[in-house]
Amino acid sequence: MSNQKSPLIFPPWLDAIRPVVGAVAFGVVPVYLVLLVWFGASPKTTDVGYQPEQPVPYSHAVHAGELGIDCRYCHSTVEESAHASIPPTSTCMNCHSAIHTESEKLEPVRASYESGLPVHWIRVHDLPDYAYFNHSAHVRRGVGCVSCHGRIDTMEVVQQDQPLSMGWCLDCHRNPAPNLRPLDKITDMTWKAGSEEEQRQLQESLGVEASEDCSTCHR
Amino acid sequence: MSSMKHDDTSVPEYWRSLDELADSDDFRTFVENEFPASADQMLTPASRRNFLKLMGASMALAGMTACRWPSEEILPFSERPEGFVPGTPRHFATAMQISGVASGVVVSSYDGRPVKIEGNELHPDSLGSTGLLAQASLLELYDPDRSDHVCRKGTDGVETSEWAAFDAFADEHFAAQAANGGRELRVLAGADGSPTLQRMRRHFAERFPAAAWVEYEAISRDNIRQGGRLAFGRDLRPHWALDHASVIVSFDDDFLAQHPNAVRYARDFVAGRKTDDDHHDAFNRLYVVEGCHTMTGSVADRRIPVDTHSIAAYVGCVAAHLFLEAGLQLPAGVGSLRQTLEGFRSHALYASIDASLIVDLMAHRGASLLAVGPGQPAEIHALVGVLNMALGNIGKTLTFTAESDANRPHHVDAIAGLVEEMQSGQVDTLVILEGNPLYDAPADLNFASALEKVGTVIRAGRYVDETSAVADWHLPLAHYLETWGDARGYRGTYSVTQPLIDPLRNGRSAIEILATLVGEATGGYDAVKSTFAQQIGDEAWRGALHDGLVRDSELATTQPGQLADGWVSSLSSFATAAEAGYRVVFLTDARVRDGRFANNGWLQEVPDSVTKLTWDNAALVGVATAKAIGVKHGQMLRVEHGGHSLELPVYILPGQAPETIGVALGYGRRHGGQIATDAGFDAYPLRTREAMAWAAVQVQPMAGSFKLATTQNHWAIDPIGTDTTEERVPILVHEIDIKDLHGGHDDHGEGGGGHGSHEVNLWQPHEYEGYKWGMTIDLNDCTGCNVCIVACQSENNIPVVGRDEVIRGREMHWIRVDRYFQGDADAPSISFQPVTCHHCENAPCEQVCPVAATVHDAEGLNVMVYNRCIGTRYCANNCPYKVRRFNYFNNHLDQSPMETMIYNPQVSKRSRGVMEKCTFCTQRIAAAKITAGNEDRKIRDGEVVPACAQACPTRAITFGDLNDEGSRVLAKQKDPRAYAMLEELNVRPRLRYLSRVRNPGHSEAGHGAGEA
Repeated sequence: MSNQKSPLIFPPWLDAIRPVVGAVAFGVVPVYLVLLVWFGASPKTTDVGYQPEQPVPYSHAVHAGELGIDCRYCHSTVEESAHASIPPTSTCMNCHSAIHTESEKLEPVRASYESGLPVHWIRVHDLPDYAYFNHSAHVRRGVGCVSCHGRIDTMEVVQQDQPLSMGWCLDCHRNPAPNLRPLDKITDMTWKAGSEEEQRQLQESLGVEASEDCSTCHR
Repeated sequence: MSSMKHDDTSVPEYWRSLDELADSDDFRTFVENEFPASADQMLTPASRRNFLKLMGASMALAGMTACRWPSEEILPFSERPEGFVPGTPRHFATAMQISGVASGVVVSSYDGRPVKIEGNELHPDSLGSTGLLAQASLLELYDPDRSDHVCRKGTDGVETSEWAAFDAFADEHFAAQAANGGRELRVLAGADGSPTLQRMRRHFAERFPAAAWVEYEAISRDNIRQGGRLAFGRDLRPHWALDHASVIVSFDDDFLAQHPNAVRYARDFVAGRKTDDDHHDAFNRLYVVEGCHTMTGSVADRRIPVDTHSIAAYVGCVAAHLFLEAGLQLPAGVGSLRQTLEGFRSHALYASIDASLIVDLMAHRGASLLAVGPGQPAEIHALVGVLNMALGNIGKTLTFTAESDANRPHHVDAIAGLVEEMQSGQVDTLVILEGNPLYDAPADLNFASALEKVGTVIRAGRYVDETSAVADWHLPLAHYLETWGDARGYRGTYSVTQPLIDPLRNGRSAIEILATLVGEATGGYDAVKSTFAQQIGDEAWRGALHDGLVRDSELATTQPGQLADGWVSSLSSFATAAEAGYRVVFLTDARVRDGRFANNGWLQEVPDSVTKLTWDNAALVGVATAKAIGVKHGQMLRVEHGGHSLELPVYILPGQAPETIGVALGYGRRHGGQIATDAGFDAYPLRTREAMAWAAVQVQPMAGSFKLATTQNHWAIDPIGTDTTEERVPILVHEIDIKDLHGGHDDHGEGGGGHGSHEVNLWQPHEYEGYKWGMTIDLNDCTGCNVCIVACQSENNIPVVGRDEVIRGREMHWIRVDRYFQGDADAPSISFQPVTCHHCENAPCEQVCPVAATVHDAEGLNVMVYNRCIGTRYCANNCPYKVRRFNYFNNHLDQSPMETMIYNPQVSKRSRGVMEKCTFCTQRIAAAKITAGNEDRKIRDGEVVPACAQACPTRAITFGDLNDEGSRVLAKQKDPRAYAMLEELNVRPRLRYLSRVRNPGHSEAGHGAGEA
């Protein structure tokens, strides 16, 4: 090329690669940005499969599965309160003051019991702050633990089994029958629903009219 | 602008991978700001390239951090207390004391932090309602401006100290004081009815026999006590049975706002104003004679504006009319009164006394009540005592109890005596418990200079305020929700006050501090329990804690005794005409009181009942007076008295008496928190010993003006608009004279019946078969006290926006109380109308939301879904009642963890850009539905009580299920007085109003109170 200073800012060879630049700018870049936000900015903590590591390697598979402890033994306020509530350390110590008293895995639990300070559990099932979910209303009306939390009794480490999104909630609220069970089967992880007719009858006998009003959850 | 530099240590990896974006200091600052408002300053004109780099970088970086959803932790108890269910509130009964009188409250607590205060249904002074100050006291608990450490004034200025240091100092210092019997020790405290504090005071008197305990209250009711001393020779406390009174006359007594027992008296007052068939003939009549337009005056059936300084003469003239003309018998013991009253015949006011007042009083003997405000002189109180006795009211509408601290000197005399002792160097140690004398002591005492002569000043208070700023020791006082204590109600009801939370700001209670001075090592709990055991009995302790009071612990009534007449001759001084000239009347603001609550944002922002002023006080001046002085609304006015002057803006308030300028106390603070020091103008410098209630002043208009933040009259309106407003107000606020209300029916057609619009509906109306929520507001019961506003604010996490935003009309209150003037500008009547979201079945707001963020639910509630709202504000535009509030700012930013403890977890916090409005307390409805559902039943009537309804002293607001045949709200909506506001718009609101009924009677004789 000539050594004179060109009045043009952009060198001529840019013309040649203009179609490629166009494709990247209008094709690749938007797709990249969308994927960047989708995967980079969306939180992992509300996804199915979210399985945070807990301070104590508590295994539901052992306690709820093998030993058959009812969910409500620990999550004792599920029928009275909005929260099922993580049990206090004293509940663990009900057994573990006599069982596996020297186990290393239970060290944080013993430390908590001695000091009076809580164990820092990581929350698995989380909803946005503006959505108010009430456990007692569901559990008392025939929604089983497994419907939303999955087969906890087979989980070594708890993971989120269902999306817990508003659309997912509405799917049940619009048609609750398939997800209802008799009140004595709430914590039964293996109970299966009956025929459509049985489901319909069950819904009627439980008196379930699942509200689709926004005010049900949004306050 | 420096060239881009590489800085290896501080730039995160991410940046290095993009084109060498280094971080200069400018860039770091830039990224920290969400809005790069300062971008221009950082860029030189030639670096467009840099600008693009910065913009690109910040957009990418800022987005990431905002989208992260933090993983949350759950922290259960190590050992969960028995009966504790996480997420459900617990309720504890306690009591709040103001100037020695307690009111019972029940506080809701989530996870150990109190979030809502309600009234205690069992408490006779509360009956489940609360006053304004009790509702707002919660905010003070979480106030970051509260002092949190002991301060000590050393040689180098004020330094932080600790309780241990004070305890050590006190040990030594007070032992030395005790050595000479406490001769040079004085305690200055406010009124306190706590039995434990009284017990501590006895120990104090035992340890320091020569010390003196001085009680001072800036807002004092001692003139009433003094009146009793003059008339009966005893210290008496009057008690009213307003529900038995057919004629109530208030001479300058704003009792519905200011009386210590106002909540109960408001309920009793409206009990005598029911219009249903059972009560129709017994409708009472309230006369109010006052100089300033007050809340009580607004509710009056007949309001007579008389200059405050002439009201004494008015009372004398009324007495003269009754005893000399109407034939009322003078009681025994005050025969000399007849002669003195003759002197009132020649007074200018004598001829203009409201004739119906005299007629009504004579016609309803034994069923009337005369009240005088605490600002009026003691002799007038004595005279009214005589009148009440002569009219046969004592024992029927008026009873007395004996004050426990008989012969205590008058507050003003007490503090004057103390200052004299301080000036002459007799006081070595002064302990100030709570009061703020450097701010609110009478100005001519010059407390500040007297304080310099005191050796050691120890001040216990919740804020480092004007007095603590000069004290040698400042001790942080705990809030009543943080400590053990006890208190007595107005009638003597014994309450134990229990803490809801440990002291958040390292405070101690007055009882504990006093125990330290007395040398007793006792904590609050032990002291209170021990007093209880002595006075009531241990076995009642748990019951008292549960109930919030000891049942039947009211003091026994006492007969007042024989009348004495030594004071009668001094009455003649009131018979002479007062000097012409303006007086500044020192008003007690219902919100900040004497200034102690000035740092409370809720109270500063809740509008004054009558003026609708927020954040400031003003010189309240009548229409004619303003013209005479030559001032406009908002113009600065200079007021001078006794060598002190005050400059403050004018607020033209129709109904002010001609020479009366009302100025509220409690503003213009110099220390005491960010909010307190920003609000208003200090009137205390004008207040001197001889002029505690009003002061003669010189006035002078000034050049400047001040933008007053009022929640009504946001925007000036032209004369055409004013006329139209006047035409329309009677349609919005229905008022009816009782004589037009025949058998409960309103024949005039304006009030009534709720005929329902005859418009055709565009949509198929919805059938509500389940619950059908509705509300009524009975304008006849509403006194305009505004407690519903603060209750709603507390329940629903409503932010405080500040003065500037209120001026722009952006206050966030979900319920507002509109105030309308009617009639003659010099003597208008006032009507109040609380307005909330009407939850229209045909809601105009729902129809215009582009994103369906506001929808209707199956029970009739207009629901607001905050996370869906994108802030178009079209809904607010379309709302005919203008009840929708928009969050122009993120009002919950930058809050310390302690400040965030106040939020009700059952209600979302709204962010910027989101519309909000009254939800009929949908969280309470949801809670009731869940509880009822869990118990397999329907919600009972009265189970769902919105915050506003629960707080209202007169129970003006009723809420419930319109599909429930027996519900109170259905009965009220069917009441002939019921109407819907702006019914013709066919919005079909669920909120109905019930017409206000007034009973002014006729000016000619013949019609007594209560007759149709």
